[in-house]
Amino acid sequence: MNNSKWLIRREFWENRAIWMIPAVFGALLLLAALFGQVSIPRLTSPRESEEAAAAFLVVVGAMFYLVMGVYSTWYLLDCLYTDRKDRSILFWKSLPISDASIVLCKLLVGMIIIPLVYFAAADATALIGAFILSIRARASIGSSLWNGDVWWQVQVLWTYAILTTAVWYLPVTGWLMLVSAWAKRAVILWAVLPPLLLYFFERVFFGTHLFGHMISRRLTALPMVSFNGSKYVWTHEGGVVDNASGAPVVSVWHLINPSGFFTSAETWIGAAVGIVLIVAAIQLRMRRSEI
Amino acid sequence: MAALIEARDLTKKYGAHIALDRANLKVEAGRIVGLIGPNGAGKTSALRAILGLTRYEGHLSVLGREPFRERTALMNECCFIADVAVLPSWLRVDHAIDFVAGVHPRFRRDRATALLAKTQITGNRRMRELSKGMKTQVHLALTMAIDAKLLVLDEPTLGLDILARRAFYDALVNDYMDETRTILITTHQVEEVENLLTDIVFIDKGRIVLDSSLEDVATRFTAVTVTADRLDAARAEKPFYERHILGKVVLYFENADPGKLEGFGEIHTPSVSDLFVAKLSGGAA
Repeated sequence: MNNSKWLIRREFWENRAIWMIPAVFGALLLLAALFGQVSIPRLTSPRESEEAAAAFLVVVGAMFYLVMGVYSTWYLLDCLYTDRKDRSILFWKSLPISDASIVLCKLLVGMIIIPLVYFAAADATALIGAFILSIRARASIGSSLWNGDVWWQVQVLWTYAILTTAVWYLPVTGWLMLVSAWAKRAVILWAVLPPLLLYFFERVFFGTHLFGHMISRRLTALPMVSFNGSKYVWTHEGGVVDNASGAPVVSVWHLINPSGFFTSAETWIGAAVGIVLIVAAIQLRMRRSEI
Repeated sequence: MAALIEARDLTKKYGAHIALDRANLKVEAGRIVGLIGPNGAGKTSALRAILGLTRYEGHLSVLGREPFRERTALMNECCFIADVAVLPSWLRVDHAIDFVAGVHPRFRRDRATALLAKTQITGNRRMRELSKGMKTQVHLALTMAIDAKLLVLDEPTLGLDILARRAFYDALVNDYMDETRTILITTHQVEEVENLLTDIVFIDKGRIVLDSSLEDVATRFTAVTVTADRLDAARAEKPFYERHILGKVVLYFENADPGKLEGFGEIHTPSVSDLFVAKLSGGAA
């Protein structure tokens, strides 16, 4: 346990991008809020202003989420490779730290800690951004963008998104770490090429798309599995309504679908595959030293 | 007393290539052992096995442990420097000390800071900003502050200039070595380490060709500079190696009777580097 504290700190020393990218990204968004063109429609009812606040927070968060996805992927692909390339693995291996704890700490950083950093940056950006916009835009908008209740709901939404993302993408994470622990060069190529070849192989020799379908579903289906996606729809005004009745959705609790997500076999089969890949990455880490 | 390192029939294969071929080795506590061999002889493979960095066949016990399976526990009592250039370039000196202090139960922070205080290196420097010699000083300070029973050095001075090399070995002998410690060094620069070793192990083509203390070397091996007229008589005593320098012939004998050799010419104990050349070329002849 004590070691993991140091191993996580070590990741922040090595990868300053963990906090620098969200900081710079947040600063850019704030600059846009300061100097960009702001056109916010006049909000007449409390209902509308609440929707505007929610849409604003969700959009800011979603932008951070996308950047986080790209960075995490890169981090996981790189994390067991760089120290083999520059031979510093020989220094880490001269210390009484097990390979399992090293791999698991990197997994924790990639899956939970990096998303938390982005989450915090998104929150800070949204709060400061709302403040800036409220000064620049018509007075009535100010209080709407800062809506405590909506803000809490968005926190719930992001916590839920981090958790489900971590579990759902575990097989992808495991694969990236396995490649990172194994490849002697060109990690990106090794991460992409084998699945691609398998896809073409299946297509050409069996004429089926099972593997390709599995991969594309894993990469894209998270929102459908973790949210009540088909039950509700976004309206043009930025609100969310019940697909069947057209009644507005007032709470995040309607949107998220934890019972569905955490009881789905698909979730746990994927997680099991991920765990197998991570165990394999640990085994490789024990056997491989410098390239 | 049990041996600190004991290897029996230690074998390591990389595909068809055999890096270690049933090597036997025993290292006692309190010794400074030089593992000496030409490039590709299996030195690094032997060290990798001893440090638990690779799998192997045969029996191997280091500090009573099985290295590959128990590397984490082993590293509590054993530390190693595998080439000094491996400190990560992004790591700051003070962070390096913090980290090792955080994870290593036998690390003495005051010792490391005292060792670094003697140098020009400040804590806020990153490894990439340091010269190779300075990185060596940092690595050595980190390592020497660990109260380890066994220190393993793999070509520790590779790529260092002569000043840094000398400083490295001086620090090792003066500030680190005492009777509770054991050091295992591999190098192919034999001249550099021969005055500090207590034991030598020669390795060639994956096999241990000599494992002896330096005291034993003095009684076991004899070199005789033979005058031309006695050459045939001396050759009859079966030298294992002959060296021709400047018109003189030096013959190398193992376990020969000194009384018999006296008449042939000037007798001396071969240096480690001469013995190394003699032993390895002699074996091939």
